[in-house]
This record gives sequence, C-alpha cells and structure tokens, in this order.
Amino acid sequence: MAEVQQQDGGSDKGKHKKLRAKKASTHIDMTPMVDLAFLLLTFFILTTTFSKPKTMDITMPVKDKVEDEDRTKVPASQTLSILLTENDRIIWYMGIDDPTMPPQTNIADFSQDGSRSIRNVLLEKNKLVFDQVKLVEDSVKRGLIEDNPDVIKQHKAWVKAAEKKGLIVLIKPDDKSKYKNLVDMLDEMLVCNVGRYAIVELSDSELELIKNTQ
Amino acid sequence: MPKIKIPKKTPSLDMTPMVDLAFLLVTFFMLTTKFRPDEPVVVDQPSSVSEIPLPDKGVIMLTIDNRGRVFFNVEGQQTRLDILDRLAERFTLTFDEKERKRFSVLSSIGMPKEQLNNYLKATDDERKKMNLETMGIPTDSTNNELTYWINAARNVAPRYSIAIKGDRDADIPTVKRVIEILQENKANRFALITNLEGAATEEKK
Repeated sequence: MAEVQQQDGGSDKGKHKKLRAKKASTHIDMTPMVDLAFLLLTFFILTTTFSKPKTMDITMPVKDKVEDEDRTKVPASQTLSILLTENDRIIWYMGIDDPTMPPQTNIADFSQDGSRSIRNVLLEKNKLVFDQVKLVEDSVKRGLIEDNPDVIKQHKAWVKAAEKKGLIVLIKPDDKSKYKNLVDMLDEMLVCNVGRYAIVELSDSELELIKNTQ
Repeated sequence: MPKIKIPKKTPSLDMTPMVDLAFLLVTFFMLTTKFRPDEPVVVDQPSSVSEIPLPDKGVIMLTIDNRGRVFFNVEGQQTRLDILDRLAERFTLTFDEKERKRFSVLSSIGMPKEQLNNYLKATDDERKKMNLETMGIPTDSTNNELTYWINAARNVAPRYSIAIKGDRDADIPTVKRVIEILQENKANRFALITNLEGAATEEKK
C-alpha cells in the first residue's frame, strides 16, 4: 500500500535561530484513487461486449414483371426443393414441382448428423462442388494459392460459380415456419458450399404436398 | 545477550506502474465502450456460421420481433432528422422542434403514423409502455407505411446498407412481406443479422 511518509525534516536544526519553512512531504495517499480506478476498470470490463453481431448477405432478384420465357430455367435433375414447415420440419424433393406427377418427398430435420440430417443430404447431392472447394483448400495448404482469406474466398466463389452441374437449391418456407428455420437453411447453404440457391414462394401443389406428408 | 532489534519498517511497494496500467486500461475501456441505446424490443437472433461483421456505420436496421412487429432504426442524428422531414411530408404530419429533436436521439421506432406525434411527446416511461403495446410499423398492402420509411431512408442515405434483425421466432409471412417491400424499393441486397454459431447454442437447447 502506498503510505504517507512524514519526515521530520528540521528537528535537529532547531539550534539555528532561523525559521525555515517546513519541508512538506510530496507523498500523497493514493489508495482511494487506486480503488476508484480499479472499480471503474471492473465496471468497464464487465459491461463491454466485444462480440459484434454477424451478418449474412443475401441478394434477392429484382422485382420486375418478368416474362415467362425470360425466367431462368433450371435443370430439373439438379434442383433440390426444400420446403420448410412448422415444428422445424423439412420436406425435400428432387426435380420439378409438377401437379400432375407429385415428386417423391422425403422428410429431414436440422440435425447436423444423423439419418435425417438435411446437411448430409445436401453434402451428398452437392458433392461435386464441395469436393472442388476442398481442392481449393488443399491448394492453399500446398502453397499453390496464396494464404490470404480474401484470395481464398475469391477462389471458392469462382469454383462455385463455374460448376454448372452443381446443385441448385430452392428454399420454400411456408407460413407456419419460423424465421429461424430460414436462417438455418441459408446457413446450411454456406456450410455445404451450395453456390446457387434462392428463396422461392410455395406453389399450391407444394402446399398440398406438405399437407399430405403430415 | 542483547536482543537483536529488528528495525520496524513499513513494507512499502512502489505502486506507480500498476496504477498507471490500471488507468490505461480504464481509459481504453471507457473509450471503446459504446453504450447501447435503449432498444424498444428485445430480439433473440438466430445463429449462423457466417463471419461477416455488421458495419459500424451506415446501416438501416429493420427489426422484426417474435410477435411479428416491425421496427425501423437508422443511426446518425442528421440522417434521422432528414428522414423525419420526408415522412412528415408524406404522411402530412407536423412535428415541432422538440419532437424532431427527440426523434433524432431515439433508437428503433415502430409506430403507425397516427401515433408518431404522441410517441415523440411522451416521457420515457410512457414511451416504454407504448412500445409494449404498439403494433409496429404497418406493412399490409392496404396500409403499407414501411415502404415510406424505407423510401425516405433510401433517398436520404442511398449508400446505407440494409439489415434485417429478426427474432428466431418471427413468423415467415412478416419476414417475407418485409423482404418484398425492400424489393419494391429496389433494395435487393441486404444482410440478415445473426449471432456467431456457438455463442448462442446454449440458448437453443
């Protein structure tokens, strides 16, 4: 602790008749100040949160009247439709939605691993692209690609865009699903390196599908 | 045997460096801490693996809470004032100097236009109560006020990015509706605010 030192400066100089100004000690008791400093320090440490919120960028198509012929046609064999519905359930099917010929539907959930995990489904269907992204990571390890997050990201984006045979995912949340489900699904797109995905409205036949699967 | 006298000495320690360090840290934390303004709604964001941080400045924030109410927020006092002026024109409302000043320092706001004046006149406590009762900014196609808010914000601050801060239990129709309104206003790129995966996994269980 900081202490006050009092020095008796002029005790034996009393013989001199001259009066001298008492030498005041320059030491101050710093304890209260230090206490306060630490109090403030504790307060600010406890109240500061360093975790910045993260964001997920999405781009929606321009909302214009698009002629039917101008719409992007997606190959049915590469298209995976994911229907999100209540109680965190996922219904998915491959191919196109055809009212006359209902597609084979499957049920999945948001678990990371397991027989019904949507992630496993996506990884399997998107193996082609996923492997290529892995290849990029390998190249980084072998020094073929510069080890810089921006450069790696760029390469991955190129790979995802270049692969025309990659999976196309249509995410279709119904009115009973929650925002959380949508974000989780978009998250899976990131995890599974699905380059092409979109949030799409449900059609009537798909609403029927959901009803029938339940 | 003479006793050995141990000289009495107060144990003294030079604390100056420690105190210096303590003050340095205090200064650091004081300067880096940004006190969060009182948010009218508490939103439990979903988690994701995305690591893109939210920009510090220039964000138009749309908050959707678990009851499907929509709130609007943008930072910067001057920006807010300009937006309010535009809205006043659109909604044919008048705000006096006091109300304008109040609006410029508030955070998220989610009021139908009829209640805006009252909301800005109210005291802090009344405002808290109103925030609980409010229905948010109307988004229905017949009474679409959110589009005016977004339009005003886009005109005042065209460079600002748009972020949607949704509660994990917000319902999809509202979210879809908000996205649709954004698209109508030619805002096709926006960000969804999430927590980093792992930080929020405990809440999930």
